[in-house]
Amino acid sequence: MSNIFPKSVNRLPLQIVIYLFVVGGMATAAVTYYMTPKYTRVGYAPVQPVPFSHALHAGQLGIDCRYCHSNVEVSGHSNIPTAQTCMNCHDQIKTTSPLLAVVRKSYETNQPVPWVWIHKTPDYVYFNHAIHIARGVSCVECHGRIDQMDVVHEEKSLAMGFCLDCHRDPAAHLRPRDEVTNLAWKAPSPAAQRAMGEKFVHDWKVNPPQSCTGCHR
Amino acid sequence: MKRKIEHPAPSARELAGPKYWRTLGELAETPGFKSRLEREFPDGASTLDGVDRRQFMKIMAASFALGGAGLAGCRRPEANILPFGKSVEGVIPGLPLYYATAYPLRRTAIPLLAETHQGRPTKLEGNPRYEPLGGATSLTAQASLLDLYDPDRAVAHTANGSTLDDAAVKDRLAGIGRAYAGSGGAGLAFLAETSSSPTRARLVKALRGRFPKAVWAEYEPVADEPPVAAAQAALGAAVKPLYRFAKAKRIVSLDCDFLSAEAGSMYYARSFAKGRRVTSRDDEMNRLYVAESNLTLTGSMADHRLRLASSHMLAFAAALAARVTGDRIYDGLAQGLNVPPAWIAECAADLAANKGSSLVVAGAHLPAAVHAVAHAINAALGNVGQTVEFVDAAPSGAASLADLAGAIRGGAVKTLVILGGNPAYNAPADLGWANLQKSVGEVVRFGYYVDETSQLAQVQVAAAHYLESWGDARTLDGTVVPIQPMILPLFGGLTEIEVLARITGEGESDPYKLVYATVTGLAGGDAARAFQRFLHDGLLAGSAYPVQPVDIDRSGLSRLVGQTAPLPQLSRSNLEVRFVADHKMDDGRYANNGWLQECPDPITKLAWDNAILISPRLAKELGIEPQGSMGPQVARKDEQDFEKGIEMAHVLELTLGGRKIVAPSHIQVGLSDYTVVLPLGYGRAVTGRIGSGVGFDAYPLRSADAMHVASGGVLSLTGERRKMADTQWHWSMEGREIVREANFEEYKRNPTFVKEIGMEAETSVYNMSGFVAPDEPAAPLKVLSTEVPRGNSLYEHPKFTGPQQWGMSIDLNTCIGCNACVVACQAENNIPIVGRDQVIRGRSMHWIRIDRYYSDGKAAAGAFGGPGNLELPEDPQISLQPVNCMQCELAPCEMVCPVNATVHDDEGINAMAYNRCVGTRYCANNCPYKVRRFNYFDWNLHQIGHLYEGPLGPSGLPELVQMVKNPQVTLRMRGVMEKCTYCIQRIENGKIQWKVKMAQAGTPAEVVVPDGHIKTACQQVCPVEAIVFGDILDEQSAVSRAKARDQDYSLLAYLNTRPRTTYLARLRNPNPKMPDAQKVPFSRMEHTVKSGEKEDS
Repeated sequence: MSNIFPKSVNRLPLQIVIYLFVVGGMATAAVTYYMTPKYTRVGYAPVQPVPFSHALHAGQLGIDCRYCHSNVEVSGHSNIPTAQTCMNCHDQIKTTSPLLAVVRKSYETNQPVPWVWIHKTPDYVYFNHAIHIARGVSCVECHGRIDQMDVVHEEKSLAMGFCLDCHRDPAAHLRPRDEVTNLAWKAPSPAAQRAMGEKFVHDWKVNPPQSCTGCHR
Repeated sequence: MKRKIEHPAPSARELAGPKYWRTLGELAETPGFKSRLEREFPDGASTLDGVDRRQFMKIMAASFALGGAGLAGCRRPEANILPFGKSVEGVIPGLPLYYATAYPLRRTAIPLLAETHQGRPTKLEGNPRYEPLGGATSLTAQASLLDLYDPDRAVAHTANGSTLDDAAVKDRLAGIGRAYAGSGGAGLAFLAETSSSPTRARLVKALRGRFPKAVWAEYEPVADEPPVAAAQAALGAAVKPLYRFAKAKRIVSLDCDFLSAEAGSMYYARSFAKGRRVTSRDDEMNRLYVAESNLTLTGSMADHRLRLASSHMLAFAAALAARVTGDRIYDGLAQGLNVPPAWIAECAADLAANKGSSLVVAGAHLPAAVHAVAHAINAALGNVGQTVEFVDAAPSGAASLADLAGAIRGGAVKTLVILGGNPAYNAPADLGWANLQKSVGEVVRFGYYVDETSQLAQVQVAAAHYLESWGDARTLDGTVVPIQPMILPLFGGLTEIEVLARITGEGESDPYKLVYATVTGLAGGDAARAFQRFLHDGLLAGSAYPVQPVDIDRSGLSRLVGQTAPLPQLSRSNLEVRFVADHKMDDGRYANNGWLQECPDPITKLAWDNAILISPRLAKELGIEPQGSMGPQVARKDEQDFEKGIEMAHVLELTLGGRKIVAPSHIQVGLSDYTVVLPLGYGRAVTGRIGSGVGFDAYPLRSADAMHVASGGVLSLTGERRKMADTQWHWSMEGREIVREANFEEYKRNPTFVKEIGMEAETSVYNMSGFVAPDEPAAPLKVLSTEVPRGNSLYEHPKFTGPQQWGMSIDLNTCIGCNACVVACQAENNIPIVGRDQVIRGRSMHWIRIDRYYSDGKAAAGAFGGPGNLELPEDPQISLQPVNCMQCELAPCEMVCPVNATVHDDEGINAMAYNRCVGTRYCANNCPYKVRRFNYFDWNLHQIGHLYEGPLGPSGLPELVQMVKNPQVTLRMRGVMEKCTYCIQRIENGKIQWKVKMAQAGTPAEVVVPDGHIKTACQQVCPVEAIVFGDILDEQSAVSRAKARDQDYSLLAYLNTRPRTTYLARLRNPNPKMPDAQKVPFSRMEHTVKSGEKEDS
């Protein structure tokens, strides 16, 4: 009686094990890649009701972030400017631009411009802008080079791991307080950044919370 | 300063959009909606009883299907940021704004700072600029915020069922004035509540000038201020007393619940605590004698408490006065009093030994004669000008309700304007108010709710909440305070002063301008500046009533006390019936307030209900308290009375003067034997969804001649039972050392007595770095928390490396159990209400509770080998203890959490990460303090009546209800554990704001927040400053100093949980010469018997 199974079947258990490892690995890799904010959030660039260009205003014209986001130094929430803030300039220039019709209408009727929220943390996260600015964390750390974006997109994942990277090692990210809104600023070298960051951590007693209560209430 | 912001009219889209509340009025007319309303809180029913297993499976299947369908939307939903079109000055999104305003109640007000988030008030705090209250608030003031967002409030002006718009209602009001202008007001009548508002007083004067023949009547169903008539007779002047408890070393209360029921209770509690607080053995401590018929919070603080019927209070006062003054005019009144003479004699001797620093106060509900006698005693003791001062209390000149009823009966009233109040519900029953009101041709009702009175009125004018109105008020001492709007009227309600001004029809009717005119008139000087200052400070400095010198008018006094009547002989067939304002519902005005309904009564511990309170002796005579119970615990007298720990109250019928009510009873220890107490304010017939079907209405028993105390009541059993939502079933500490108490004398002898009570004093306890003998000195807190390793647990514990370590100290010596902290915490931390049915199941969500224990020294319960307490105590001592999360450094809850959802942070806070929690409830099981609360349902998603319907039930709360939530605190979902966080949002925001401020000032290294900058909600509200919170690393902080006091102890310290919240032991200050003096507090006696110690005395 001939063998029912060919000899190659002897390798089957090993093949199954390898196969399971490969499939399991791929599934794990897929979940960690596709189901985390790094994939789902980064690059999110919704169409805004007004095609406002940060690259033009903040980049070319050099308007400071805090001209529009005026409460960022005092409030946890960095405010989106009111239509009145826009009209400070735009009642002088581009007064008839159809792109600005929404803003003019908002100013006249006091109905808000429905800006789409991009950098949104979950409701149970209480991120506070003011303290980060006060401690020398630049806008660029979380928002990227906004001053080069025509259409704002989410640059960083803003996931908890992203926050903790910095909270565990603040020295790599701190900068002089007067360079916080200068998105182009860079320390001359990584070593210089480290030295300066460590000095700030020591001098300012920077102690970013790493426990739940720091951000979750 | 509050600016007036002209909000734009709603857009067409808004008007056409979903109308959650605008249509409630119309909806309420449809029968389907009505039946839903009635189902909201069915009597004692639970919806699960109607759901069988099969139906449950169906619901579950449906919810899975829905869940599956919902998975399609994995992406985060798109959200918008909506900035203002035009910038609004002062508004910074993300930061709250605080405005000064005031909470008015009857003739007083509490100055407030209202916290608003983008124009939405979310929390009320006391105004710290107002010295006498120092930033404290009361229970009802805290909860009054919720009324603003009550979807059941009057949402439209109506006339005969159809809606009136704003212009029409104003025209209608002006029309009343025009119609009666010719006749001088003949046929016009007003019925209002009492008020302290100077603007209202001014407008009423103008109104009465324009309509001299109109009737202006005022009515309040509860009395909370001493009658002016008493002062008029005894002192010959229209004045009212203001007590200075802080200066009083000996206090006698004649049925006066000055800590919670009187108009000035906030002031009195605060100053009483000043004389009560003992920080070292050299301090003095006041002594409180209380004679009362009901067991009140004041009685629970008493050093000597005498149970005495309210109708015998005059005789008692006279006997005391006779002893103190030696005057013979009181002899007649004191006849027949059955009180141990030694009690009165020693009490009087103690008062006499403290001339000028003693105080006798009488309850507002008592007849004028008692007050006159109290004034006379105070005058004889030289207390006037020291512990009691008299200020002007000019009578308002208003007619009484009875006068108005007479005018209506005589046909002299054609148009009746009812401003606030609710006479159809709370007028004395013998007036027959409902029929009288119906007999008037036109009734215009100005009210906050559509209630019993509105139903009998043709026109309903919706009132604005005080947080929506411009107004003014006077505090107890007369200081004028502003009432500023925080938000435009949500439903276009009017204010009382605007209604009055429009009817008068002369001059200004804009409430802002009316208040401006009044206040600038009072302030003088530069009007605009004065008003700005007034709004900024939240008070008008120097506007308090001037103190009047008074002298006793002996002839007036003897006229008042000369009329003697025999004392009623009380017995089972001639019961004294007392009508008391409920601690939470007041006279019924807060019936639809969920926070107050759910808050347990401080003494009975009943939530969502009132009961006929009867004494244990009366219960026994009625046969509802069988002798010789088998229960091992004091409370569970009878298994039938406590089915699975739920109180099964006997339903009784109470007859008084030919009228009867049927209501559940509650056996309340400490009551005068034959006094039954009826808390008012429940059993509302017409109110919102919360207040419907809750409790019973005691007003139908009330007659105009016996508003507060009546006799002749008879009780009988109906044989029925009713489940009660009793939140504390066990009444005693059962010999444990939970609340530690000592007499003041013992404390002076042995300041560290507290360390000698309790398990850790007797055995070596695993503590600090190993087993430590009891006599070994404990390491200082600072060392303990940061340097001493915390046990040898397998778990890695966080090092307490934070620059500040948080801790709390609760002073049991001053805590009066007022419950203000419970509701303040609820408002601050978005704690949901769960409804009566769920409270009965033990699922209430309060993060801080106040435990109330009774002790009578009669040894241990049966479980400990003693005979057991077979009888309920008649004269117990009461111990009150607020309990929140102890923030144990070695938290038992953390060790059992399988998902690390509860962990410590580096500043010593036991954190709760809601997102990690999977709801095993192991932590709650392992918590020795029972302070963890589990979300059995999505309280924030489903309405209380629809909890068991799951996804099939309606989802989402009305937008209006959502507006009260604090945006700084996460809303917890179903299946998540929660507990006190020490108000972590306040700590974190406080730290951030401090660091930002320091960084901007150029000193970024100053990261330590100074003491007092961060306050927890319970600490901030506490009228007696019993709760202190702060940094325990700072030895000068208030909390460190409190913890360094001798009386400091930890709850269940022998478990080595090392709680961050510690308690200061309670002291009692009995007079050793009194016949009822105890050498040690009762709870100590029970403790010594239980633990087999010898009494040391």
